[in-house]
Amino acid sequence: MDNKDFKTRLKIAKEKILKNNSNDEDKRGHFMGSAFRLGSELVAAVVVGTIIGFILDNWFDTKPWFIITFFFLGVIAGIVNVIRVANNMQKKD
Amino acid sequence: MHQFQVYRLGPEIKLGNVDLSFTNSSLFMLISALSICIFLYFGSKKKGIIPSRLQLVAEIFYNFIAKMISDTAGSKAKPYFPFIFTLFMFVLLCNMVGMLPYSFTVTSHIIVTLVMAVFIFIAVTIIGFVKHGLKYLSIFVPKGVPVVLLPLITVIEIISYLSRPVSLSVRLFANMMAGHTMLKVFGSFVISLGLLGGWLPLSFSVALTGLEILVAFLQAYVFAILTCIYLNDALNLHH
Repeated sequence: MDNKDFKTRLKIAKEKILKNNSNDEDKRGHFMGSAFRLGSELVAAVVVGTIIGFILDNWFDTKPWFIITFFFLGVIAGIVNVIRVANNMQKKD
Repeated sequence: MHQFQVYRLGPEIKLGNVDLSFTNSSLFMLISALSICIFLYFGSKKKGIIPSRLQLVAEIFYNFIAKMISDTAGSKAKPYFPFIFTLFMFVLLCNMVGMLPYSFTVTSHIIVTLVMAVFIFIAVTIIGFVKHGLKYLSIFVPKGVPVVLLPLITVIEIISYLSRPVSLSVRLFANMMAGHTMLKVFGSFVISLGLLGGWLPLSFSVALTGLEILVAFLQAYVFAILTCIYLNDALNLHH
């Protein structure tokens, strides 16, 4: 096998890799990863919001108002996060 | 449950109020880290044009992470490749070593995953501030929002930013712990149903073991890819 033959074959192989950059198996793994994200993203924002509300309540002695407000803000933030992840999934389709 | 218990191995080591004793958790972290080192050492020792099997696997892992970083975070994130590769391999090996019988799953404890997630969170925040200065704060203010809504949106954005380490750590921890608990529950069904009815849960636990190996890989992948996404937000500021 001479050098030139090897170089052309390398070139063809490289082009093949570039073309098949996003094959189906790859995508499936990516979507499963995104699916795992969705649930925890929603829960985490609610938890963080509630914790922030709890801390603020302890600071200002205004139980239960900050907890209530920040719980609902956390829910909103969670829904926003989920929508963002879902949008990213659609973009990659 | 017995498989989640952390106990001390060897003598008690105390530094002030901090307990630094060597536990079974530390032992299995060490096992995972050492097996990565051994695997990559022998995988990259020969450097043949026609790769051996071990070299092929090592190269697949390398390419996989390199492609993931360039896909999600762009070329600016190339300097962070060693960190993300280490992170991915460590989480993957911890999950996989935990699948062996009689072993201990390090990532099924929230403190382990939370420390990693908080470290990533702080590092990404520092990187963002170093690269963009105070302009980094503009990720809390999305474009095109009416002035009336701005305070509300900013608070929501801050909550969603702070929820990153929580979601990152809880996801890994919850998946690993739930999987192992499920295997244990089905295993105890096999015992309690005996020779007559035990075959159904036994077949289930065989299937679940396969599923757990998939989850172990996927969770490591998700952990690494989310680190890339957060890095991307910090490096390329465009909200």
